[in-house]
Amino acid sequence: MQRFQYLIVMALCVAVTLPLEFILNARVYRRPRRMFGALLPTVAAFVVWDMFAIRLGHWTFSPDYTTGWKVGNIPVEEITFFVVIPLCALLSFEAVSNILRDGWLATLRAGVLGRLMPAGRRSGGGTTGDSARSEELV
Amino acid sequence: MPWYSVMTLIAIALVVALELLVIRSGIFRMRAFWIALGICALFQIPVDGWLTKLSSTIVIYNPDVFAGVRIFFDSPIEDWGFGFALMTLALALWVRQGRGGDESPAVPDSALVTGGGAERD
Repeated sequence: MQRFQYLIVMALCVAVTLPLEFILNARVYRRPRRMFGALLPTVAAFVVWDMFAIRLGHWTFSPDYTTGWKVGNIPVEEITFFVVIPLCALLSFEAVSNILRDGWLATLRAGVLGRLMPAGRRSGGGTTGDSARSEELV
Repeated sequence: MPWYSVMTLIAIALVVALELLVIRSGIFRMRAFWIALGICALFQIPVDGWLTKLSSTIVIYNPDVFAGVRIFFDSPIEDWGFGFALMTLALALWVRQGRGGDESPAVPDSALVTGGGAERD
């Protein structure tokens, strides 16, 4: 079990941020094409850095707390990290954007009930796109 | 040679340049971006701390390659630069790809920091 520690930390990051997708209506997982479009180049870039850093001995991984499963010289935990951490950032960003644009109430309502407050009730800027947003599925 | 420190600075510069010159998502002008990064940086303390704490280290840094400044449970300070570059790249691409015809404006007015720090809402 110990050797799953790194992966468990990653799983916790996913679990802790998952409510943002629904309760705060982040809609990251529900826009998979856009999600992968953001993640793939990012993962690729950081995998290259990681590959060289590991080869050059900049960092190593505890055999006690990692699975030992590797892609090339890169532990699967590292690849998981490069997916999970940006995902947490995307979820946080979308949740914060929703709250800034629509306010807590409308954001929670959209997230929990799956619909938005009537347009007139929303405070501040957003005048367009809400209905388009709730329709959009990618 | 503090290669991790050097690479972190290069990564930050590359990502910032990429955003400003190529991706041009406008995230640096968005309040939501800075707030989200701040929240993520706070959560990085326990997560990164767990991975790098010296008592039972999971990710072991070669002491020759970083500046030697360890903060919050022994995490190298470079990790926050690494995290900034990692998250900023993903966010810039995400926002950029939201600019398709099938999506609301990626940069709603209310998400922007307006001149002089005056904000709507």
